[in-house]
Amino acid sequence: MNSLEELITLIQDELGIAVTADDAGRSLDEIPGWDSVHLLWLVTVVERRTGRPASLPDLLEARDIEGLYTVLEGA
Amino acid sequence: MASREATTGRNSGSATDFFGLFRAGDLAVRYPEVPALLAGLDGLEMIRAGQLLSRLDPAAVLSAHPGTKTIRVAITGHGEVAQLQPALTAELARHGLLARSVVAPFDSYIFDLADPASRLYADRPDITICLLDATVVFDEVPVPWCPEDVRRVFSEKLRTFEQIAATFAMSGHGTLVLNTMPLPYQSAAQLVDYRSRAALGVLWREGNAELLRLMESNPALVVLDLEPMAEDVRLTDQRLRVYASAPFTTELTANYAREIGHLASGLAGQGRKCLVLDLDGTIWDGVLGEDGVDGIAISDSYRGQAFQTFQQIIKQLGARGVLLAVVSKNEASVVREALRDRPDMTLREEDFVRIVANWRPKHENLAEIAQALNLGLDSFVFVDDSPYECGLVRRELPAVAVICVDGDPALHAGRLLRDGWFSTRDSTDEDRGRTARYRDELVRKDFLDSFESIEDYLRELQIVVRVRSAESGDVPRLSQLTLRTNQFNLTTRRMQQSEVSALLQDPGWMVLAINASDRFGDKGLVGAIFARRQADVIYIDNFVLSCRVFSRGIEQGCLAALLDHAIASGVTAVFGEYRPTAKNGIVGDLYPRYGFRPVPAATIGDKTARFRHDLREPLERPVHLQMEEDFSGGLSS
Repeated sequence: MNSLEELITLIQDELGIAVTADDAGRSLDEIPGWDSVHLLWLVTVVERRTGRPASLPDLLEARDIEGLYTVLEGA
Repeated sequence: MASREATTGRNSGSATDFFGLFRAGDLAVRYPEVPALLAGLDGLEMIRAGQLLSRLDPAAVLSAHPGTKTIRVAITGHGEVAQLQPALTAELARHGLLARSVVAPFDSYIFDLADPASRLYADRPDITICLLDATVVFDEVPVPWCPEDVRRVFSEKLRTFEQIAATFAMSGHGTLVLNTMPLPYQSAAQLVDYRSRAALGVLWREGNAELLRLMESNPALVVLDLEPMAEDVRLTDQRLRVYASAPFTTELTANYAREIGHLASGLAGQGRKCLVLDLDGTIWDGVLGEDGVDGIAISDSYRGQAFQTFQQIIKQLGARGVLLAVVSKNEASVVREALRDRPDMTLREEDFVRIVANWRPKHENLAEIAQALNLGLDSFVFVDDSPYECGLVRRELPAVAVICVDGDPALHAGRLLRDGWFSTRDSTDEDRGRTARYRDELVRKDFLDSFESIEDYLRELQIVVRVRSAESGDVPRLSQLTLRTNQFNLTTRRMQQSEVSALLQDPGWMVLAINASDRFGDKGLVGAIFARRQADVIYIDNFVLSCRVFSRGIEQGCLAALLDHAIASGVTAVFGEYRPTAKNGIVGDLYPRYGFRPVPAATIGDKTARFRHDLREPLERPVHLQMEEDFSGGLSS
């Protein structure tokens, strides 16, 4: 995962959630349609693409998209 | 980003692939195209499609396409079961069904299912899924543990499942789905000695066997055997289990959802009935036209043996009630010779209801078979080894399920079976004789062509119709008739076995079973009338008749018998209803044709048409029918 934009596009395409760069700092709880089950699919997709495992507990604790990106950055 | 680029590339045109449709925001508006678009997706793409489809508001689809069949699904279970929802939404969409699903909170299955007053029961779902995995038991086993602890907890859980099944039978609606719980290696491996592991293995499988056995005494229950479904995928993902309480891997969840898709399709009355096979490269190795009858390989080579196994599996499906047919680009006489004369051929002429070998486009032949058998194209599964033929049939006849077997013949059987197109809750004796009956029907059609008039033909057929009060032994077939009959089905009220049984026991109801036979053979139980009496009026709730026996006056004979019975038992009027669907137009004018008069609609916008017969003039029985009537146990008052 090389950029925050890439993660946002992934959320749009894979989860069907209409987020933009403006939502990156919003609490995940405030993003309509977001729930942790969708996060699991996102992790599956990222890991398949990069071939490297991501830390699920850290992702589950992330509060916003930026926080998710911090965990996935370099993954 | 490979897959994203690929998707974007395909999206540049007129959104003719699923993901293009999503990006264009057209999924709801073009929902009828979704099944065909999903047909080309592989496993992971289906999961992705499910994520997107589960975002779709069912109301938006219904607003664009009010006739879309919806299935209400409740998902509950021990762990975090929400991951099933996207996969299930995609699998139902693949069958043209729109899922309206509700996911229960984490680990709430006992509250949901053991309490008749629960929210779940109040929602009246068509399918209630209770997803079970080994943690149902192991979460309550003490640490440290021995096999005896597991036995104790498992048997407690079995009592709970029994109670749930009983509560569901009393208070539930539709079908309840449970599953066996495969034993994870990680559990067994905690017992270091093989003797204890064996003891655990025995008690665990006995527990699962008892779970499966619940189906015998609970007609509304389906217990899926999960172990075979996990054959080609991993059972659990430890990270998902530990951090998210997800019971299964994404892949196993997808397999499970696929099975539910077929179950739902069957419950919605659209199960597949006929398997149409190509020949060269599909059921034998080689090209018959070039290699000759003796040159094709069926058993005498490695590849040939793979084809023989495939033939055996097809024959087995035929014996379970799947109609088999052939559509092949070949000379008809040579095909018949091969099926008749090759000693190592497993499939024979008599296994097929129709063998079509010619040089016309296959989709035209398929459409003609559908017409001859009086079945919708959505009852067909087509198997071919040529991607060209598969693509053409898929494009021309999107309702037909197409399976392309274009690789190693050892994998043919897996490709055919991994999608349970013919799965059904129950099969009956009727199913097992189906091929012969349909073949008789085709002979009868040819026979028809040789008569000057339809009356001559009907007289020569020597049809005997028996209308009688249904008995408990008829229940599986009666339920099946309501589920599988789409054309001659006046109100398309689908009924599970439990619902039919309930009507049989209700003195206010009359369930009539219709049997027919003719000079070509016994047709078995071919129709049913469900009626109830209120004061001095009879209401016909539904009337179904198998498409095998249309257009022979059988419906007239049965209605006449019912009206006479009504007159004899002091009834003053008989009411009937017609609820239009996409497929039952053939019976739209059934009641008016036989002396019923339309009753003005009770509410505006209700499409159900109601009719009333005042019983002043009895209805004639067709002269060509020999009627046998037995209304004992019918409605006397």
